Formats: sequence, structure tokens, C-alpha cells
Amino acid sequence: MRLRSRFRLTPAWTPYVLILPFLLLFLVFNLFPLLFSLFLAFHSWEPTSGLTAMQFVGFDNFGFALGDEWFWKSLRNTLWMALASGVPQHLVAIPLACFVHSALRRGRDWVVGAFFLPYITSTVAIAILFSALFSTDYGLINLGLQGLRHLPLIGAAFPAEPVDWMGRPEYIKPAISLVVFWRYLGFNMVLYLAALQTIPGDLYEAARLDGAGPLRQFWFITLPSLKPMIFFAVTLSVIGGLQLFEEPFILTGGRGGSDQAGMSTAIYLYRMAFDFNDFGAASAMSWLLFFLVAALTALTNRAFRARGPAS
Amino acid sequence: MHTHRLAPWAAYTVVGVGALIMLAPFWFMFVFATHSRTDIFSLPPPLVFGHDFAANLGILTSHLPFWRNLGISLYVALASTAFTLLFCSMGGYAFAMFEFRFKDALFALVMGTMLVPSFMNMIPTFMIMDALGWIDQPRALFIPGAANAFGIFLMRQFVGSSIPPELVEAARMDGCGELGIYWRIVLPLLRPALGTLGLITFIASWNNFIGPLIVMRSPEMYTLPLALRALQSPVDTEWGALMTGSAIATIPLLLLFLASSRQLISGLTTGAVK
Amino acid sequence: MPERDRLELPGRRDAGRRLAGLALALAGGRSLAAAAQPVVLTVAAYPAVDDIVREARPRWNALYPGVDIKVVSRQTSDHHTAMTTALSTSFYLPDVMALEVGYVGRFAQGGGLEDLGDAAYGMRHEAPQYVPYAVAQATNRHGQIVAAPSDIGPGTLLYRHDLLTAAGVDEAALTRSWDSFVAAGVRLKAASGAFLLANARDLKDIVIRTGLRAGDGLYFDADSNVLVESPRFVRAFELARAARQHKLDARVTAWSNEWSEGFRRGTIATQMSGAWLAGHLANWLAPATHGLWRAAQLPEGSFAAYGGTFLAIPRGVPAERKALAWALIRLLTLDRERQLAAFKAHDAFPGLLAAQQDDFFTQPLPFLGGQPARALWRDAALHISAIAVHKQDAFADEVINTELDKVLDQGKAIAPALSDAARLLARRAHR
Repeated sequence: MRLRSRFRLTPAWTPYVLILPFLLLFLVFNLFPLLFSLFLAFHSWEPTSGLTAMQFVGFDNFGFALGDEWFWKSLRNTLWMALASGVPQHLVAIPLACFVHSALRRGRDWVVGAFFLPYITSTVAIAILFSALFSTDYGLINLGLQGLRHLPLIGAAFPAEPVDWMGRPEYIKPAISLVVFWRYLGFNMVLYLAALQTIPGDLYEAARLDGAGPLRQFWFITLPSLKPMIFFAVTLSVIGGLQLFEEPFILTGGRGGSDQAGMSTAIYLYRMAFDFNDFGAASAMSWLLFFLVAALTALTNRAFRARGPAS
Repeated sequence: MHTHRLAPWAAYTVVGVGALIMLAPFWFMFVFATHSRTDIFSLPPPLVFGHDFAANLGILTSHLPFWRNLGISLYVALASTAFTLLFCSMGGYAFAMFEFRFKDALFALVMGTMLVPSFMNMIPTFMIMDALGWIDQPRALFIPGAANAFGIFLMRQFVGSSIPPELVEAARMDGCGELGIYWRIVLPLLRPALGTLGLITFIASWNNFIGPLIVMRSPEMYTLPLALRALQSPVDTEWGALMTGSAIATIPLLLLFLASSRQLISGLTTGAVK
Repeated sequence: MPERDRLELPGRRDAGRRLAGLALALAGGRSLAAAAQPVVLTVAAYPAVDDIVREARPRWNALYPGVDIKVVSRQTSDHHTAMTTALSTSFYLPDVMALEVGYVGRFAQGGGLEDLGDAAYGMRHEAPQYVPYAVAQATNRHGQIVAAPSDIGPGTLLYRHDLLTAAGVDEAALTRSWDSFVAAGVRLKAASGAFLLANARDLKDIVIRTGLRAGDGLYFDADSNVLVESPRFVRAFELARAARQHKLDARVTAWSNEWSEGFRRGTIATQMSGAWLAGHLANWLAPATHGLWRAAQLPEGSFAAYGGTFLAIPRGVPAERKALAWALIRLLTLDRERQLAAFKAHDAFPGLLAAQQDDFFTQPLPFLGGQPARALWRDAALHISAIAVHKQDAFADEVINTELDKVLDQGKAIAPALSDAARLLARRAHR
């Protein structure tokens, strides 16, 4: 006790002590890999020959990356899938979380659990299941579409031929986006639910006394209170979406699908390094991707800041 | 506790059906665990439980030190969760509650660590782990990521929205030390946030396979995802055993979720301002 | 580096000295029973190969009682990623490294693997004992032999005898040429509605390899000139397009549920593949089609390898362990009994010629209606020629598949498709 009072931490030093673990771990584990990949981006390297086999090539790798059709294609794919899977996630997860929070009492754990389960289902199971679901001739999704075709009025809107989901380039991105949406909806919902817990109930009480209906309460109390969490979850979706890897990787067997329609930039980077054996170009591309993600993250930050501080 | 009971039955139905659709693949994972690979590779795939669970488990345990792998996964995930909760709540609290020099630059640094695809770091990370002598050591899996951007960012958002600065100021006036404020006032108020972060950290550690792929060089030190992947080859995969292993691997996550959902979503209003 | 030695046992410090003694003992052919601490030899492998190594343990222990084998197994692509990492840094290298045929060419050029042709190993003298094309695949441009073949994948055409007979197609008509193969598919489709192929891409994959001689490049020649606009590719694309236009391919990918279901329901009538597929069909993919399949040499006298495994020793392995690693490779690849056992248990076709002389190779295969197909595979193996590898082959593969998809799915003309591919490849040829 005496020791603690003598070396009492002043408020000025406290934040540095609090972030010391991060700084130490960063210096030991993150800094070197960053420098290594920066170094590599300026070299040509055959990794199986060992570390001494690197050859300096200047800005060659960056020039190659910027002129590479497939790199640009992968960026377009990534943006497409990030938007198509990311935007609906939040548009559904926020109302869903509010509904579960306010209207469900009994069975709430079960509903939340059900929506959260995709996040903990093994990727192997997902790969097998969705290949069966998306199967052209026997898949449950096509069976369902065929069934819907028999409905009066809206039936004609559904395809007459079974859809070759994973074989045709135009369907691959929607199919992957659907799986990403399915997988992270519950994850976002849990984040929003946790944030909803922290909104004091008397705010709603006061609003109700003022005669505000559920919609007005949602708009004027819930949404503003959720803002820090929305900022967090959207930022994560931006970063995660632009680094999209696992879902397209398992759904297209690691190759990106027909016409590379499902090849995200992260998959392309991985293949450049480990399949096509070009670590230098892969490093250069990962730095280009880094700057793109950083820019978009900063934009997200600004968008949220424009209407009041994010935190 | 605020509720509006006007929500129509339609909403319940939509949410209920949605939940069932979300649940379906999970159901299949357990169904597949009880079928041979011949059954699994049919169309339509099996819809109800079969009889091959024991046979699959036999294949699994004869190919892998499965239970040991499970134990290592558990150890790594628990340690990872403990360290992450501590370090990230410290960092998040600092970024949310204090003004200090280089704050914005440091936070940008934190976020920057999120932006590099992890497989691009494989070779340099392997070199560091070798230099530290951490190859084949579980600590190589739970120490490096313990103060991660995701957790620090999440905690910063929570501290900002649920802990009023006046509370901290008042504690200071009462003569409470800075670390005491963090430990006795901030942490208890962060319980729902810690529950969320703990759950997500545990799951991320449990499913992580690039980390173990880099540092684990002995099959008896593999974590589950790496061990289960080792059953896969382009031509000869024991799919039944793989599904059995995946299903068993999910059970701890399921239990954890059920336990933590009490914390997260059972309606404990822990907002600080009463 | 004694710090880095791979002994996982107590007494690491003197390990180096003990190993040196051990190597001496080996050289003198003395018994190792006297060694107090067991030495552990690490083998890095992937599924099936891992079991083959484990099953060799009893025999190995009888030969080298003081030396244990530790098998480190990973998923196939994880394994090669881990091996790339290990070779790039020379840390934690296994003593013996398994390499899949798709990777061996690339690893061979890297310089991280021992030259087994060196006098210390003497594989140059053993080379005639292996299937010739496999040794050529493991030989790099400096003439070094960097790996020994443990199993090979001689390619043949498996076909549904019942379906083709019902359609009035005999084996000669099916395999006379690639054009007659496609024509047979048209008759088959008319008669039974069954697809000739799983995917038109399979047809392209083999036709671009048809007619190549040993040492020819597939996509690039020795000077990195791009070859994809040659008649070989035009014809392959034309045949694949014909198959698609006549609806002869089921448009499914290998190892999907639709693929195995196609075999079970008899909707896919042929499959070109390595010898191992017959075993998988019989064991689990489509056991109910017992007796209905036959094997034939690939159409138009084509020969190709589908799969195969090699064993190599990394250069960074401590010198005193290399002799032991080589002894293990010899046991796995040059021991007739081991090679046969692996074939019987895992459909790993022997790369050792002597093993192929066993009676087992002339026995009838019930799943193939009593056909002695192993002799057919043995014959195919002798005709396969090793294609020269190029650093950009994996990328070229991807580019060609992409352009083929555009031709098949989007109606792109073949000439512009191939010239687009050539343009992309030319950009990379010299990287």
C-alpha cells in the first residue's frame, strides 16, 4: 500500500501505461513483419531458395501490380462483394437487434443463438453445405426457386432454368455475398444487442411520457445511442469486406471461380505468393491494398464524425 | 425495462423463420457427423441422423491425437481470452477517456495493424517465433494478438458510450488511484462489453488456423482447425470423420455461447447512468 | 546449429555429438542398438502419404532400432505452404519432405533441396529402378535430382462399359482419337442421356498435353516464349467447345457432391484420371457401380500423369542426419515390399519398376469387371513423358482455364481468347 502511494500514477502518465502492452507487442510482433513485407515489395524472391536469394528490383513490383489486369479485377470483385454483403448486414442487424431486445422475452436466447450459430459453424461444414445448397440440378436453392415459379402472379419473375450458381460468373458474387451475409448477420446482431444494453431505460420512459411512438423512439433515442457501435461495426465491415478471403476461398475451391468472378484481392494476393510464387508482387499488392483500406477506413471515420463525434 | 408489445405476429414469424434458416447448416453439420463419406457425398445430402458416428470417431482418433488437440485449443483460447480482455480494456479505456500526446497517431497505428492480411506475415512471423524460441509453444498463439485492434477499438467505443467522464473524475476526487479507477470502476461497468469481446476472442482463437500453421510444427501441438484440416487432401479425405471432428469442435463454442448469453442479452441493464 | 536440431528429447546438448557417432555407426554398418537416446527423424507429409510412412515404421525399426520416425501431417496445401516457409528461412526443416507432383517442379528449381544424384546418395545409379518420367520430373535444369518418386499417377480413361455398350460404342471407337471420343459422346447422349464427361475442362487439360515430347514445355518453351496460341491449344479449345455445345459434359467439378452423385446415378460415363480413382470409386465414391467400369488407355495414344508424390531432403538438414533421411527414402521408394503395401492399402501406384513386376499387377480387378487393369496402368506409366516446368505454369493454368470458361460460357471466339491469354502470359513470362 505504501509503495503504491509513493509511486502513484499521475493522470498524465496513465494512458501511456495503459497502452504499454499494445506498444510492446506491436514492437515485438508487428513491426518486423511490416518492414519485412515493405522490403520484399522492392525485391524479387524465390522463397524456396532461402533468404539470401532476394534481388533488388526497385519499383518494378509496384509497376507490375498497377498494370496487372487481374489485380484491378480482384479489386472490383472485392468492392462488389463487400458492399453487397456488408450493407444488408447492418440494415437487417440493427432492426433485428432492437426487435429482439424490446419484444422478445421468452426464447430470446434461442433466437439470438440461432442467428449467431453461422459465425461458429466450421468452414468445412459450410463448404460442403453450400456446395450442396447451390448445386445446379439437385440443390435446395434451385428446388425452392422452381417451386416459387409455380406461384401465381410473381412466379414468372423466377428463372425457368436451374441456375448454375457456382459455375456462371454472374452468379458467383451474389452467392458468395449471400453466404457472407448469412455468416456475419448474427455477429453484428450480438454487437448491437450488447450496445442496446447500455441505453438507459429512463430515456424511453421519458419519450413515452412525451407521447413518442415506437418509430420515433427508434429514430431519436435508439439510433443516436447506437452510433458508436454502428461506427465500430461498419468500420469492421469495411476492413473485413476489403480483406474478404475465407468465404470465397472455400466456396470456389480456393481458385476464385469461373472467370475469377469470386476472386477477392486477398485471394489473389495469397495465390500470387503461394501458388504463383511471386512474393515480391504479392507484397507490393498488399501495400496497395493497405492504402486503399486505410483510405476507406478514414472516410468512414469522417462520415461518422461529420454528424457529431464518433465516441 | 422498456418494451412495446405492439409488434405484430408477422414480425415474430419472420424472425422465427429467419432463425430456422440460419440454423439449418448447423443442423447439417451434426447430421453429417453421423454419416459415412459415401452418404455425405450424395444429393440430396442426408437430412437426418445416421449410424456412423462411432466409426467416424474411430477414424478421427486413429488419425489424430484429437483429444489432445482439443485440449490445446481450449488452453490457447482461454489464455487468449484472458489476456485480450485485460490488455484491450486497458487500451480502449486509455483511448476513450484520456487526452495525451500522439493519441491520434497511436490510434491510427492500432487500426493499421488490422489492415495487413495475416498470411502476408507468415514468413517474418515464423522468423520472430524462431528467434524467441516459441515454435511449438502455445504462448506463440495467445500473446502476440492479445492487445489487438479489434478489442481496443471495441472497448474504446463502449467506454465512450457507457462510462461518463464525471464518474471517473469523481473517483479521482475521492482519492482513488488511476489503476484503482480502472480496476474497480471501469472494468465492472464494462461487463457486457467484456462478455462480447470474450466470446468473440474465444471463437476467433478457436477457429484460427493461420497462426497455428505458422508456429506449430508437431501434430501433438496442433490446435483443432489445423488438426482437422490435416485430414483433407485433394483426393482422399475422410469427410465423415472430418464432420464428426468439426461438430465436436463446435460444442465448446455452443456451451460458451449459452453461458455468456446470460451476460450479454438476458436483459441486465448495466448502463452506468441510472 | 545444435540449437536448431530437431530432437524433441532430453539431452539436446549432446545430440550433435551423438548423431555424429550414429552416422559413423551407420557408415560402418554396425548395429545401432547401443545408442542410448533414440534419434527422431521427422517426415513432413500430407494425407495418405502420412499413413504410408507410418505403416513403414515396423520395417524401419527392424532396420534402424535406435531411430524413431515422427510424421508431421498437414492438409496438402497447408503442407506446401509450411514447407515454403521452412525452406525460405531454413528453420525447422523436416528431415524428409513429401512433395506433390504439382509442386515438385517449382521446388526443384529453388535450390533448397539436396541433389540426391550426388555421390553421397547415389540416386543417379538408382534412377533406372524408377519409372523414367518420374525421375525426369524431379530433375531440375542443372541436372540435379532433387527428389525420389514414391508414387505415381499414370492416367487412363475409366468408362462405364454398360452405358457405352448400350449406346453401340465400343472401346476402339471411344479411344481412337479425340474426335471419335466426342462423337462417341454424342451417341451416348442420344442413347441414354448420360454425359460423356464431368467437365469440358478435363478434355482441354489432356488435349493440350497430347503429343508433347519429353522436355517440351506446356505453356512456355525453354526461352519463356508463350506457346498458348499454337494448334495444340486451338484444338483443345475446339474439342472442349464441341463437347459443351453437344451438351456432353455435366459441368461439375471433381470432388463435389454432384460429381460423385453423377457416378452413382450413371449420369457421368467416363472420367480421365490417375489409377487411384478406380480404388476410390470402389471404396466410397460409387461402390454400387461394381463391375460396370472398365479402364482404357487415353484416346489418341495420349499419356499423362494425374498426381504423384515425391520425397526430398532439404539442404538445411544437419549433415549427420542426411544419411538417415536418405535411408528412409530408400526404404519407402526402393523397397519392393513397401511400395506394394502402399499400393494395396492406399492405391498409391508404385514408382519402383521392380514392384510393378509383382503378380498383383496381372490379377483381375472385380470392380472393373475382372479386367487386369493394373497392367494397363503400368504400361501407361512407361509412355508418359516428363514435361518441362516453368515458373509461371500455375498462373498459366489459371489464365487458360479462365479463357476456356469465357469460350464455353460466354461464347467468346477461340482465337481472341487465346491471344488474350498469350498477352497476359507474356507480361509474366520473364518475371
